[in-house]
Amino acid sequence: MTLTRVRVDGARATAMERARQRLVVIAVLFGGAFLLMGVRTLDLGLFRAVAETHSLSASATVRAASRADIVDRNGVVLATNLRTASLYADPKRILDPEDAAAKLVRILPDLAQAELLEKLRSSRRFVWIKRKLSPRQMWAVNALGLPGLAFQEEEERVYPQGRLAAHVLGFTDPDGRGLAGVEHFFDSRLSDVTMVDEPLRLSVDVRVQHALADQIAQAIERFSAKAGAGLVMDVRTGELLALASLPDYDPNHGGGAPKDALFNRASQGVYELGSTFKAFTIAMALETGVADLSSRYDASEPIRVSRFTIRDDHPQARMLSLPEVFVHSSNIGAAKMALDVGAQDQQAFLSRIGMLRPAALEISEVGHPLVPERWRDIATMTISYGHGIAVSPVQLATGLAAMVNGGDLFPATLIRKNEDQMSSGKRVISENTSDIMRRLMRLVVRDGTAKSADVPGYQVGGKTGTAEKPAAGGYARKALLSSFAGVFPMDDPRYLVFVLVDEPKGTKATWNFAGGGWTAAPTVAKIILRIAPILGVEPQKEDDGLFQQAAYAIEDSRRHP
Amino acid sequence: MNDTSLFAPRRVKKTLPQKLMELNWLFVLLLVAIACVGFAMLYSVGGGSFDPWARQQAIRFGAIFILMLVIALVDLRVWFQLAYPAYIGALILLLAVEFIGVVGMGGQRWLDIGFMRLQPSELMKIALVMAVARYYHGLNVTQSSQILRLIPPFLMVAIPMILIMRQPDLGTSLLLAAGGVSVIFLAGASKWLFIGGAAATAGAIPLAWGFLHDYQKQRVLTFFNPESDPLGAGYQIMQSKIALGSGGMTGKGFLLGTQSHLNFLPEMKTDFIFTVLAEEFGLVGGLSVIGLYLLVLSYGMYVAATCRNQFGRLLAAGLTFSLFLYVFINVGMVMGLLPVVGVPLPMVSYGGSAMLTMLVAFGLIFSISLNRKLAIPRGI
Repeated sequence: MTLTRVRVDGARATAMERARQRLVVIAVLFGGAFLLMGVRTLDLGLFRAVAETHSLSASATVRAASRADIVDRNGVVLATNLRTASLYADPKRILDPEDAAAKLVRILPDLAQAELLEKLRSSRRFVWIKRKLSPRQMWAVNALGLPGLAFQEEEERVYPQGRLAAHVLGFTDPDGRGLAGVEHFFDSRLSDVTMVDEPLRLSVDVRVQHALADQIAQAIERFSAKAGAGLVMDVRTGELLALASLPDYDPNHGGGAPKDALFNRASQGVYELGSTFKAFTIAMALETGVADLSSRYDASEPIRVSRFTIRDDHPQARMLSLPEVFVHSSNIGAAKMALDVGAQDQQAFLSRIGMLRPAALEISEVGHPLVPERWRDIATMTISYGHGIAVSPVQLATGLAAMVNGGDLFPATLIRKNEDQMSSGKRVISENTSDIMRRLMRLVVRDGTAKSADVPGYQVGGKTGTAEKPAAGGYARKALLSSFAGVFPMDDPRYLVFVLVDEPKGTKATWNFAGGGWTAAPTVAKIILRIAPILGVEPQKEDDGLFQQAAYAIEDSRRHP
Repeated sequence: MNDTSLFAPRRVKKTLPQKLMELNWLFVLLLVAIACVGFAMLYSVGGGSFDPWARQQAIRFGAIFILMLVIALVDLRVWFQLAYPAYIGALILLLAVEFIGVVGMGGQRWLDIGFMRLQPSELMKIALVMAVARYYHGLNVTQSSQILRLIPPFLMVAIPMILIMRQPDLGTSLLLAAGGVSVIFLAGASKWLFIGGAAATAGAIPLAWGFLHDYQKQRVLTFFNPESDPLGAGYQIMQSKIALGSGGMTGKGFLLGTQSHLNFLPEMKTDFIFTVLAEEFGLVGGLSVIGLYLLVLSYGMYVAATCRNQFGRLLAAGLTFSLFLYVFINVGMVMGLLPVVGVPLPMVSYGGSAMLTMLVAFGLIFSISLNRKLAIPRGI
């Protein structure tokens, strides 16, 4: 009996001990979690608070003009403040709610009388009746002489250009805090009391912006497309003169816009942009010295790599010279060229021209590029013609600008640069390679896949891109992303115009084709026709001699296949 | 069992006034204090008005508070006897709402009991911990660590978990499971089981990552970097963090938070109420409320540590752990430490379900405390 008792006590003791140990484990977990919560509260409350409390106290003391204006590169106002007043009531002091409600509805007809009556009868001490009244409405309410009604002076952020450049500007919440676009990115700058009188000057030009948005909207309409995007960039500085994404929204009512409209397709969306990437492949091959203008590539047979087959969309099925690879947009040729360069050099080159990291644009809506995790040979080949890598249009434009401007990379910017800020860019290719790229891109428009982008006198050059949209388990053959990147004038490049049309449908006029050459290229041509005179680019007669070298190379390969 | 007689209940019968005297009123008061913080915040969110939220919340609190005292005064042996029946009852209710919901009530997940609507999943949170604690009470230390003995508690956790997951409410089902599993851990199941489980989960993450779609990955990445999607998934968290920061040391003052006047944050009267609090009362207010929770939960752990019977110990610790998870997940979420999941801050957030769970749990913890010297025989 005693024996059992001892044993049982022993068992109880170990049970107690184990339970205690386990309790200690849980207690430590507790302690750690509460410590974490406490530290995080301190962190958020003390250290992250500085900027926020600063701007808050600023806006509390200086209620007038608490946010700087935003203007375009020529000083046209894009965002400013309007003083308004918001009407609220203290229901306890309202003598006759029914009478007050009836009178208020007469002045503010968009209020529902029953709802208003309920508000005025409630036992609260503060109810908003309507925010942001017009001066006339305010006068009429004051004239009622009802006790218990009062105004809170407020400022309203207004965007006089409406939807124009909505995705660049972004919008603010009712308290004037930036929620999107430059309004969000430059929130502390715009709400800084010491800089309120100094407008924020963007690189955007409203006239160019209007032409761009208008033409993209027309293209969407004509080709029954889902959406579109585009931009105009100064290739010598990286400044964006226009950036548009459609569908867009009215920043005056930004908070209520649907998500699809808020999405910035030009900077936030990343896409496999297709053949446009061949420009990089060729420049890379020329730059690393694995190819020159007379190099030949056998495009007679599709390439098979394990389960992938690389074929050409415009098959020539013969030996192609380097210019022909570009002009006929040969995937096979580009893939072989990229293999000659090698995966490592390709990766280094694309990284140098900014394809592998998000664009450093001054808005918050910037997308991360999608890049293969392991850069195998198949990736090298598909990336050579713009598949298997997804970048934003802003990134693409930045890289292309460097290909044609003499070889200097300028990060894309939405802020106007002053003369003294004109830094020289980062050199990424030699002037000679850039010179060849200009001619090749001009050839694409003169003789290649993008004849519809030509505008007489402006010597447009460029490259089309037609990518099938990724769908479950592969690519959707009918859902295309058609794009065209055009630069003008090609003898001395000034501006780059990029247009992307999302899922265009072919029309009778395009013989049901919906590729970049049929949809995006003519849109770019129309944009150039409209903006070139605004930007002061004079039409000139083309010097055919410029293209002889490249043309000879093509001729040569035809004659001696 | 022939040694039952050795552990026969020592008759320490207490009278009702005795029990009332012994009840730890300090912690009862702390609970009332937490509830009052809730009323104040709901008054503020309601635009400086008792209606529509603060009054309703106070009425509920009154009713549930009395329920808590009644639970505290009932002998622990009664709760011991009721452990399995309570579990089965809660299971039937879960099945009932599932069934009724399917048949024609349009996905009804609650029962109306007059002053509030009750979710059976909340009852199950308590009943599950009771049942698992009851089960391990019947085992000795060697039995507790045997693998085969894990099957009944595993089923006890899995069945309601699956039912709730079907509702579908992944968050609640995981919280529920965590409560049950914590009791299994405390009871002494092999530690390798938990180390292995944690390792397997950690190992599965990269594997699962590969199966996710790009947009799903994007959502996870948004949690790590909300600024990358300020208009979509990152919006709530960014606004919440801004509000937490803008309170400063002592806050903007009661009723003066901009969030509460301008409908800035969705769900601010429920999941994001801590944000409103930190904005209006600042660092001091936020830390005080965290401190209040720390105090009452420490009391739960203290009761568990000092209780002489296995059932009481496991029940107190399991309940405390469940409540701790509520608080930690909610506070961690609004501070951007955890992804956004819909878990309320018990007693402060508007709503009766979490309040009921918290107060019933504390009723049981008080009851355990009053009966901590009680020996309950292993098998009945």
